[in-house]
Amino acid sequence: MKSWSSRSAVLMMSVSLIALTACEEPKVDASIYESLDQCKRDPLNTSDQCDASFKEAQSQHAAVSPKYATAEDCQADFGTDKCEVAPYKTSSGGSVFMPLMAGYMMGSLLGGRGSMMSQPLYRSSQSPNSFRTAENRNVGSKTGRTTVARSATSRPSFKSATRSRGGFGSSARRFGSGAT
Amino acid sequence: MQRILVTERPNLADAAAEHELEYVAGEGVTGWDESAYYQFTMVEIAEDFLAPAEELEDLCLQVVDRAVNNEEVLSRLGIAEPFWDYIAESWRKGDKNLYGRMDLSYDAKGPMKLLEYNADTPTTLYETAVFQWEWLEQAKEFGFVPKKCDQFNELHERIVETLPKLGIEGLSHFACNPDIEDDKGTIGYLEECALEAGLETSFLGMEDIGLNDQGQFTDLDDEVITTLVKLYPWEWIMAEEFGSHIAASGVRFIEPPWKAILSNKGLLPLLWGMFEGHPNLLPAFFEDDPAAAAFAEAGTYVRKPIWSRQGANIEIVEGGKTLSHSDGPYGNDVHILQGFHPLPEFDGAYPLVGIWLVASKADGLCIREDKTLVTGTEAKVVPHLILD
Repeated sequence: MKSWSSRSAVLMMSVSLIALTACEEPKVDASIYESLDQCKRDPLNTSDQCDASFKEAQSQHAAVSPKYATAEDCQADFGTDKCEVAPYKTSSGGSVFMPLMAGYMMGSLLGGRGSMMSQPLYRSSQSPNSFRTAENRNVGSKTGRTTVARSATSRPSFKSATRSRGGFGSSARRFGSGAT
Repeated sequence: MQRILVTERPNLADAAAEHELEYVAGEGVTGWDESAYYQFTMVEIAEDFLAPAEELEDLCLQVVDRAVNNEEVLSRLGIAEPFWDYIAESWRKGDKNLYGRMDLSYDAKGPMKLLEYNADTPTTLYETAVFQWEWLEQAKEFGFVPKKCDQFNELHERIVETLPKLGIEGLSHFACNPDIEDDKGTIGYLEECALEAGLETSFLGMEDIGLNDQGQFTDLDDEVITTLVKLYPWEWIMAEEFGSHIAASGVRFIEPPWKAILSNKGLLPLLWGMFEGHPNLLPAFFEDDPAAAAFAEAGTYVRKPIWSRQGANIEIVEGGKTLSHSDGPYGNDVHILQGFHPLPEFDGAYPLVGIWLVASKADGLCIREDKTLVTGTEAKVVPHLILD
């Protein structure tokens, strides 16, 4: 089961570690929009740019969003009516749930496609004002042109609900230590 | 090589507490004994341990290179057919290795002999790399040992330096059997080294690893595991339920899969087969090999299961009589016979020399002493120093 809130706690810790060791993480320019319309209303973008980047983020949404085996678990992290059924099934045929896409982050316009891809953003029920990436990185509440930590712009990974655990460990129960 | 009695540090209980090692009043630190140390010369270290260990490592890698292309050898090592390509591929891709410990019989009178290679899940790492080093520094301060002495011990620095060069990207997971304190201590120390090297880490029990619908392994937060530093033997991983998913999981394992060939005592007959007569090797044969029968006929040998650990299920036969036979849970595997080169005796203790290798370079030495010829779970690490 994905525990979004506990991961946030882990994240806070690692951010503060970075702050201690590296003073400040490098920031990069990014544009964040709640919707395709909002993007198009921003005079900084052309309509084509908005269409392309929205499509790119939307096409990733189902793959990279956090996944849950029950709707309740998903709603606990993202709020009532903030989850949908993912286009995946568990191996036993059960449904998989994921949060609704709450916005998206456009790739860097100057750097070209290779440097930074557009990606979907989410809002957790714990901090509904902030946008978070699928990797649970907080990228702030501001829309339009903004700056975000460079690490938050890396390509999000594929997520799917864990279907089983305990497939390792049986030898340890029999033999004890694995050391030599 | 000398065994020299020495005063224990008066602050030993505090030192143990600081390093989270178990201390029992009246008995000392569990698995550790500093009432004596071993003294070597620099020449002994360089010529009797360092150079031969690295030469043996080279021979071992030649064995791997041949074994991965030889189905008969892989099956003799008890490696199941579905893993042959996986192991061969990890070797061909050049998956990097982190560490291992060669266990040697050494009496300073002749060349050291390789007894086995703990190439996959070596323990006593913390005692060697950290506790032994601190002993030396403090024993010097107390005036218990000569100020000018040194120790063959670059383990910590070399592990910290090597971890970031293994090709790890993003978060690395560290896993072992969480019920065993010793294993947890070792993997915890490796995790500290990784943090020191600037890597991002997370610990979980092997039993907590999950599998998702894409065939990837996941942690308890459903994060996909991409790198797994495991203190969990390859033969267990391959035999267990999730073993059939390792190839498709895309996980970078440390140690890499090809280490399954070296951590297996079947390595010893393979080495002997390719490099018979090498001064640091003992004759060794698979028990079902016709040559083993002739070897056993002479009446003196050591019989070991290919996968036993911590001295379990080892039988020593001398002059046709069983000298000792340790119990254990590993008796049903394939066995090997190996020449008997008894550990030397010092004050009723039998020191087993372990040479540590990091990225295939010899970087440290630890000695474990037991009261018997077979080094088992009662063995204690005894520190060493170098003095000319």
